[in-house]
Amino acid sequence: MIEADGLTRRFGERVAVDDVSFRLEPGQLCALLGPNGAGKTTIIRMLLGLVGPSAGGATVAGIRIPGTPAGMASLRARVGLLTETPGLYDRLSALENLTLFGRLYRLSGSDLSGRIERELRRLDLWDRRDDPAGTFSKGMKQRLAIARAIFHDPDVVFLDEPTAGLDPEASRDVRQLIGTLKRAGRTIIVCSHNLAEAAALADVVAVMKQRLIAFGPVETLGGSGQGVRCRLVAVDPPERLGGVIAAAAPIGGLARVGNSFEFTVRDPVRALPAIVAAVVAAGVGVVEVRPLERSLEEIYLSLVGADHA
Amino acid sequence: MPNVGLRVFVTKELRDLKSSPQVWPGYLILPLLGVVLPVVFLALAPLDLARAADPDLVSLMRFAARDPWLARYPEAERLPRLVVRDFGAFFLLMPVMLSALAAALAIAAEKQQRTLEPILATPLSDQEFVLAKLAAVLVPAIAVTWIAAGGFVVAVAVVTAIRYRITMVPGAAFWVSLVALAPVGGAAAALLGMRVSIKARDVQGAVQTASLWVIPAGIALVATLGRVAVRHLLGSAIAVLVALLVAAWLYRGTLRRFQREEILTRLG
Repeated sequence: MIEADGLTRRFGERVAVDDVSFRLEPGQLCALLGPNGAGKTTIIRMLLGLVGPSAGGATVAGIRIPGTPAGMASLRARVGLLTETPGLYDRLSALENLTLFGRLYRLSGSDLSGRIERELRRLDLWDRRDDPAGTFSKGMKQRLAIARAIFHDPDVVFLDEPTAGLDPEASRDVRQLIGTLKRAGRTIIVCSHNLAEAAALADVVAVMKQRLIAFGPVETLGGSGQGVRCRLVAVDPPERLGGVIAAAAPIGGLARVGNSFEFTVRDPVRALPAIVAAVVAAGVGVVEVRPLERSLEEIYLSLVGADHA
Repeated sequence: MPNVGLRVFVTKELRDLKSSPQVWPGYLILPLLGVVLPVVFLALAPLDLARAADPDLVSLMRFAARDPWLARYPEAERLPRLVVRDFGAFFLLMPVMLSALAAALAIAAEKQQRTLEPILATPLSDQEFVLAKLAAVLVPAIAVTWIAAGGFVVAVAVVTAIRYRITMVPGAAFWVSLVALAPVGGAAAALLGMRVSIKARDVQGAVQTASLWVIPAGIALVATLGRVAVRHLLGSAIAVLVALLVAAWLYRGTLRRFQREEILTRLG
């Protein structure tokens, strides 16, 4: 579980993270989105206990941040981190890389070797276990780094661009692996610029730009403050139909494309029946009327763009 | 067991050191100089020193005559005994030079290779991290120093036995210095190097800073203490004590400066 409470981090005059609060339950996956420099890395470092907050705090895997050095060491034992670059020791083999980190996580003996074999087999690296990591392809390095982030069974996992550099098949395998971790009750934060992937994986999406611009399930983000974009398709609509629609209910952003009219309404449940009734009363047949589903990319760009404006 | 991480980390560090082109040449060249230079000098120095015309040699002879310990020996033996005694200080400088450079690279190289953040995100404590890095640079530096010093002792014993008909070996002060002062002096230099590494943004910067001030400072410290240490047993004991105090002070300071947050912030 992760609970951030007013997390703030300043570097001198610059505010990297500003008053961020959210809560994630065990088994929830959060896609952390935001432009470069939005504070994503800083917030992850704060949640790992590597960087102290200037104000506010958090509880991660039951451990309070900020805390004592011993508390932060306990926290780091219960979280896994995949950094933006794999950060492997190129001169060590895959097996040695995991053994080193396993020992640092206080694992040993058959428990350690069993975990290493399980992850290397799962990530299709077992046959290359004795090869130096420096000889691996980018995708293999990324898979090995993922194995390193999860093989000690952490309660909370932070994954920074987990499928970067992977081919489509390997990306799918990693997504399946992340799904398995989620089902096993791990709390996961994934930083990604791949919005389609984030939409497919995430239970909740957090959009950051120093502060938390939006937080919630993807389907609830589209309507936040902006209204819902809707489309009405009519049969041979006359020129004046736009005026009819506009008069029937409060709308914004009206646009006509052929027989379709797109517009934004704040309350579709009240507005759409009124609009349909007005159009029918004007003697025009209605083929369909429905809210448009917005992609995460559209939502993200509107949120980040609106914040920028 | 809290030190399991330390042991594994040291093993990894030693393997990294083997393939570090900035560091390992020093592990070959310095021991070679430590053995070859005194042997060449002892083998080529004129036996009849009273007739020596070389002004440097003459001034060295005058210096030897003023040294109370050397003055006890016949004139012909003074110069080789001076070389055997004072060249021992080189083996106190060796671990300083080797460990300071390796330590300067220790953290900077991890920053550059982007391996530092995953390591810092493990439960490894600051103390374990610093100790592992210290051990990793100190163990090979001391091992190489002791092997080279062994080579030096055997080589000068053989050369003096052949040329001067007397087997000359360094005295007790040399052995005490080698066993105690060399590791402590090396540790102090390594800790200074590590401070540079913590602050450095890249390997080149770390190497430059270490070469410009850490190694000269370490050499100045050990040369001051070493001159006393290799000549008198009491001097070597005092030098070890002083070096221990300096090393302990540097260790505390290095631990204080080892701030994960600052290191990661500098990392970007």
